[in-house]
Amino acid sequence: MIRLKNLQKDYKDFKLDVSMEVPEGRVTGIIGKNGAGKTTTIKAILGLIRTDGGEIEVFGKNPGDFTGEDKKKIGVALSDTGFCSVLTVKDVISILGSFYEDFDETDFKDKCKAQSLPLDKPLKDFSSGMKAKLRVLTAMSHKASILILDEPTAGLDVIARNDVLQMIRDYLGEDQTRSVIISSHISSDLEGLCDDIYMIDNGRIILHEDTDVLLGKYGLVKVGEDDYESLDKKYIIASQKDSYSYTCLTSEKQFYAENYPKAVVENAHIDDIIVLMLGGNNK
Amino acid sequence: MKIIINNTSMVPVYEQLMDQIKQEIIDGSLKEGEALPSVRNLAGELKISALTVKKAYDKLEEEGFTVTVHGKGSYVAETDRQLAIEARKKAVEDDFAASVSKARSVGLSDDEIREMIEIILEDPQ
Repeated sequence: MIRLKNLQKDYKDFKLDVSMEVPEGRVTGIIGKNGAGKTTTIKAILGLIRTDGGEIEVFGKNPGDFTGEDKKKIGVALSDTGFCSVLTVKDVISILGSFYEDFDETDFKDKCKAQSLPLDKPLKDFSSGMKAKLRVLTAMSHKASILILDEPTAGLDVIARNDVLQMIRDYLGEDQTRSVIISSHISSDLEGLCDDIYMIDNGRIILHEDTDVLLGKYGLVKVGEDDYESLDKKYIIASQKDSYSYTCLTSEKQFYAENYPKAVVENAHIDDIIVLMLGGNNK
Repeated sequence: MKIIINNTSMVPVYEQLMDQIKQEIIDGSLKEGEALPSVRNLAGELKISALTVKKAYDKLEEEGFTVTVHGKGSYVAETDRQLAIEARKKAVEDDFAASVSKARSVGLSDDEIREMIEIILEDPQ
């Protein structure tokens, strides 16, 4: 559904160069530090910025050639709602209704009610959790086949984040061909939702892997200094020296668990992987 | 259907899922012809990736426990339960064989291995 090939964007002190592919029915996560290039990538997919090279294809078209019909197939939630802060949800409903034929007013109202979003309170009086939920509901309101969500859970408490993630899961459950691109710097949110994850740093993709592989095969190997020297580093991606030991990131934890009984081998979370990939001494 | 995923286990999630669905088929709580939940729905419920669920479903089909009807979903296949139980026994036997060869490779005698198994068996879980 979406294909980026060496997509480039040059800013004065930042250069983006990414390739990625999102097939039908896939939930793809983009993860990275603040300023790594997540939002720039998303804006390029939407045709909101001019790019400096490479190819973008969304539904087989360049975003610059999108017609109104193409845009209706995409649902977007960026960091701001884009709705004026004096409007109420009721106003938002009449705006969405006039934009999209597929807008389902009853369904939207039900979902707002389920998330306890008041219909006649101006948006400026909404909490950040309420605003975030409204953004995601708005993106889903016209049954788009692709959802593009830029940091939908940023700044939310754990309960609100859970609600937002559940909303996305429900949306996916309704139609198996729907795809989602979601960016976040909270990796635990992505672990339980995404099928594959792109890790982006300083404008480049440094890792792309299925979540299944990240959680199932990647792991941490912890050894003392003497054992580190003799460790076969065939499957070690990065390692970090701590005061009393070495922590290594591996893509084959089973290999180390079987061959090095003295080493501690643990499951890795995406956070661990990021910290080691970005902070460790990559070999 | 009852499925419990252990996220701290070293056993890959797709394998955990496979084993539990297999168990349900073998003990009859999942009946022949019964539909498995859709990939996306099960992934959503268990909060795991859809590709993980798909992997488990594919392997189950490979081993003959389920059949997939394209565009409709996966169903419990008409399996010979006895055969399925045999297959599991075989898997356990293979694990034992691997342990025994490991034990021999570190120089344990057959008597020592027997003794070890006796001790393990005495342990009431």
